[in-house]
Amino acid sequence: MDFAWARHNLFRVYVMSYGAGVKLSLAIEMTDVVKIFGNIRALDGLSFSVKPREIFGLIGPNGAGKTTALRIVSTLLLPTSGSVKVFSVDVVREAAEVRKIITYLPEEAGAYRNLSGFEYLEFMAKFNSKNRDEVREMVKEATEICGLGERLKDKAKTYSKGMKRRLLVARALMNKPKLAILDEPTSGLDILHAYHVREIIKRYVKEHDVTVLLSSHNMLEVEHLCDKVTLLNKGKIVTEGNPQELKEKFGSANLEEVFAKVVGFA
Amino acid sequence: MLKGFATLVFKELKELIRDPKIFLGMIIVPLVLFPVLGLVMSFSMQTAQETAARTTVLVLNHDSGESSIAFIAYLNRSLRIVEVDVSTVDEAVPLLSQNNATEIIEIPEDFSQNVTAKLSVQVKFFSVFSGTGIFESVGSSVVDDIVQQFNREVSPDIVVSKKSVIIKGQIAEGVDAQALSSFLLSQAIAMPITMMILLTYSMQIAATSVAMEKEEKTMETLLTLPIDRFAILMGKLSGSVIVAGVGALMYLVGFNYYMSSFTSTISTNASLDLTSLGLVPSILGYLLLGVSLFVTLLSALALAVIVSAFAEDVRGAQSIVGNISPIIFIPALLLMYLDVNALPLAVKLVIYAIPFSHPIIASKAIIIGDYWTAAFGIIYVSAFTIAIMYFASRLFATEKILTARLKFRGLRRRGKTPNEQ
Repeated sequence: MDFAWARHNLFRVYVMSYGAGVKLSLAIEMTDVVKIFGNIRALDGLSFSVKPREIFGLIGPNGAGKTTALRIVSTLLLPTSGSVKVFSVDVVREAAEVRKIITYLPEEAGAYRNLSGFEYLEFMAKFNSKNRDEVREMVKEATEICGLGERLKDKAKTYSKGMKRRLLVARALMNKPKLAILDEPTSGLDILHAYHVREIIKRYVKEHDVTVLLSSHNMLEVEHLCDKVTLLNKGKIVTEGNPQELKEKFGSANLEEVFAKVVGFA
Repeated sequence: MLKGFATLVFKELKELIRDPKIFLGMIIVPLVLFPVLGLVMSFSMQTAQETAARTTVLVLNHDSGESSIAFIAYLNRSLRIVEVDVSTVDEAVPLLSQNNATEIIEIPEDFSQNVTAKLSVQVKFFSVFSGTGIFESVGSSVVDDIVQQFNREVSPDIVVSKKSVIIKGQIAEGVDAQALSSFLLSQAIAMPITMMILLTYSMQIAATSVAMEKEEKTMETLLTLPIDRFAILMGKLSGSVIVAGVGALMYLVGFNYYMSSFTSTISTNASLDLTSLGLVPSILGYLLLGVSLFVTLLSALALAVIVSAFAEDVRGAQSIVGNISPIIFIPALLLMYLDVNALPLAVKLVIYAIPFSHPIIASKAIIIGDYWTAAFGIIYVSAFTIAIMYFASRLFATEKILTARLKFRGLRRRGKTPNEQ
């Protein structure tokens, strides 16, 4: 309880100082980003910003440009034009610095098939830690997050899709990154697995000051998870805001309806 | 007839033949590869035989009778004969290279006397052995044929040949060049086969591991970690090198056992001791061969990593790497039977340009103590490897390692219904 109270107050101080014009570093600042693949304009002047400790959702249909945006933030792709900063660090010029403070979970990613869950976590932890104790600590943390228990001793190829996803989400959060970039964290999961993953994300942001940028085409789940959402279509932002505000603004029952209205389907 | 069988077969054929990988690999490649290989082989064999027919022979005649003069004249019809005026074969050996000769024939002083009396006479034949290919003994077999023709015309078994070889300027009495050649054939075949298996196997390992990382998207995760991307590339290569190295070792042990299971029976007949003949590579030779193998392996792996980075999945990567295999197989098959120096110039240049030929060339060169050829190969392959590694590291440093597939996706998406976007 004390902790929650402290966090609440901290947040108030942050909001007040922000309002008073003291510029605090944004978690992500994307300005006018264009990404072109051959003849395809995957992103068309995308701009958004994410505040620290926010769960920010990029939502939209397949091919809207969500994954491309996430890959640019995670230093995998270079923007054709525009700029992206993660905690004031430029993702193009200082990519190596950005990689120190982020983790990235690709959509439908797998683990190394012939490594056990434990071995995978240990392998990944070694890149983000200074010594053995830290590795042990991270693996312990991940074990708790994923809740796979004894199954972590089995090879990853024996895992179900849901178990694999839980393992990878745990991997992405175990080192308490400043920014976790999660591409479709719950796609293809059944209700229980999806629920578990969502709970992990929520809990982690609350407890460890992690900022989350995620993408999803499941607008209903995003409603419950995100503090702020940006609706993308054909590489452009169609609308953005707090899910509740958006529903009220468009007089819709849910975000799906909001989206349909914005793109002119309804 | 089974219901629907014909329809299924028809669909199967359409599906398979339209797959560019199968079409290329099963139809076009064999149709081009084998005829080309055959042409090169027959042309090379022809060249080798022509060279053999022009064999220059040094004749050391201790006899002054008419029969020996007739015998030499008989030989001179088909071969280029140079009579040398020295008293022993040892003295004639240095004259071989001056006359560009590969054989010495020593006619004993009682030759004419015996031939006139229709008695058998022993003539000594010395063939130069350089360990370069199985057609090397063609020269000595041509001389053999001519001697037999002479015997048929004069009297059966009148000239009995006693064969010896000259290895690195030393005479090894009583060793038949042809027997030695066929004995060394096992070695000549072992090396190219080892290269073929080792290279294709390890390239498949490297390509699969890169493609697997792409397919499972673990590559994307690795690329966002706070580690040097060159380290990712080197880690991948080193892992594959170690596995391929262990594989090669296991293979060599197995192959050695297989070869010894039947060469042991041959060697008892031929009673050849390679060590005493100086045909076992020195430590420096082995070292050079090892380095040559290593750099070649590295170049093959780096090449596999690059090409597989352009593949979408494991199957794609394997078939791309499979298309590289002809450039491994052609030199290996050629060098199995032929000496690189006996090949026509254009083919020779192509063989030298392919990095995978060099360990095979080196393995033959070091046996005869030609370390420069091995060293040149190492330098060339190293330069090739550095160039490939540079390209691979550039590929890993940029988004290109991922965009090859992204591009395909984009195109496919574009090819689909427009309202899907």
